[in-house]
Amino acid sequence: MDAVAEQKYDFDVVRWFSVMAVVYLVVGASVGVYIASELAWPVLNFDIPYITFGRLRPLHTNAVIFAFGGCTLMATAFYSVQRTCGVRLWSNKLAWFTFWGWNLVIVSAVITLPLGLTQGKEYAELEWPIDIAIAVVWLSYFLNFVMTVATRKSSHIYVSNWFFIAMMIMITYLHVVNSLAIPVGLMDSYSIFSGVQDAMIQWWWGHNAVGFYLTGGFLGIMYYFVPKQAGRPVYSYSLSVIHFWALTFGYVWLGAHHLQYTALPDWTGSLAAAVSLAMIIPSWGGALNGMMTLSGAWDKLRTDYVLRFLIMSLAFYAMSTFEGPVMAIKTVNALSHYTDWTIGHVHSGALGWVAMVAIGAIYHMMIRLFHTEMWSVKLINAHFWLATIGAVVYIIAMWVSGIMQGLMWRAYDDYGTLAYTFAESVEAMHPYYAMRAVGGAIFLSGAVLMLINVIMTVLKSSSEGSLQQARTAPVSA
Amino acid sequence: MTSLQEYFHTDWAAMTANDWVGTILTVVTFILMIVVYAYVLRPKTWRRLEKFKHIPMDDERIDSGEKNDG
Repeated sequence: MDAVAEQKYDFDVVRWFSVMAVVYLVVGASVGVYIASELAWPVLNFDIPYITFGRLRPLHTNAVIFAFGGCTLMATAFYSVQRTCGVRLWSNKLAWFTFWGWNLVIVSAVITLPLGLTQGKEYAELEWPIDIAIAVVWLSYFLNFVMTVATRKSSHIYVSNWFFIAMMIMITYLHVVNSLAIPVGLMDSYSIFSGVQDAMIQWWWGHNAVGFYLTGGFLGIMYYFVPKQAGRPVYSYSLSVIHFWALTFGYVWLGAHHLQYTALPDWTGSLAAAVSLAMIIPSWGGALNGMMTLSGAWDKLRTDYVLRFLIMSLAFYAMSTFEGPVMAIKTVNALSHYTDWTIGHVHSGALGWVAMVAIGAIYHMMIRLFHTEMWSVKLINAHFWLATIGAVVYIIAMWVSGIMQGLMWRAYDDYGTLAYTFAESVEAMHPYYAMRAVGGAIFLSGAVLMLINVIMTVLKSSSEGSLQQARTAPVSA
Repeated sequence: MTSLQEYFHTDWAAMTANDWVGTILTVVTFILMIVVYAYVLRPKTWRRLEKFKHIPMDDERIDSGEKNDG
């Protein structure tokens, strides 16, 4: 029981963000499994417009990225900034405003997206009033974090906080610019950008949401939680500084690789592909830095199930940051773009990297925030294997399906006629769509185990009175 | 003209203001990246930075209000 930390820091809001992150993981993954099943077995649409793939797909992406990912980033940032700066949050009230505001945004998404109220911009579907709410709540998170850093007792700002701040600056900038629109009704608007500029702005946002939110923010998590869970300092701090600056300089140039062979000038795609390839160096440097933190203590992986999540996430991070640049190369992109290979790549990053590192960090915090051991270590172990196997099944299904799709679409006969109709390619993909749904269901079952384990741990802490004891135990000044 | 020369051929006279802004920003960013690499890889900076790696391990010292090095 760490009564000193409990009484010194603001952990209540972190506890709520952590538990809600797990709830949203289950909700978001459930919607994902359902829509994956709809693609394999379209009868599941039941001719109800609100649950068709087109309506539920943005709900799935918003739930996993902004609800699960957002709550995780807010929990971990508010937790680690206090621990590394030696001060409580600048404003506890503002942190609660962030919590309720963010959850209100999530509820708004759950209502509006199935109703078909959308801007039609990928990962930025929510309509303008909700966009404004997101900006206000995000700025409250940003202000609180920066002011906590500004009032720190430690003289150096630890690198995890650099990653969090870079994410906060860039997401503010990207979200505001990409969401600029002219409202024509309460839930209707038109983007101020048009044509190729609209596409460029959209993917400048889209890829940097991946780069700064799903990578930069979660690297902030990695640089704090991997050393903490391993009980060893990060392998090389200097390498982490290079990782930070290379990532921050480099990521903003990549968006155009989503628009190869479109109306965008050819050189922008070439530049994006070149910088994408250059990004392999810092990304692998960072992944190795995290893994080598275990140098001399690899045996910990035999017994520490939480550490397994964190290290496995780095393996997936290394894999997807190699795969992404390869897919950005024009000749590879000619085959991969618009196919399920992209979906497989996204999920190797989302399930393998983002979810695994988040899950590891949440398990790490649960023990310290509720001042008790997890209800079941066996369930954590089962969760690890279900998450890993589920992610691998999903990714393999999409790789095979995607490459097959690409090859079928561009196959010609001797007369220059397409060898396959589009419907034939859809038919060929069916087994892999079913396999994807199964992979997703396996991953989801692990998430359900985690939710059960988290709820039981909270109840265990309550029945033991350990949190209350930590709050009231006498501590020396 | 070889195919490589043809690939890299640029019509400088046709460059617009936007093209120049983009070109200059790109070059400046790459130079800054090289500066960061050179700065961090200097042995003196490397040794100074490595001292900060212990911050997450120093929770109790930080909790007590003691400052880390820097």
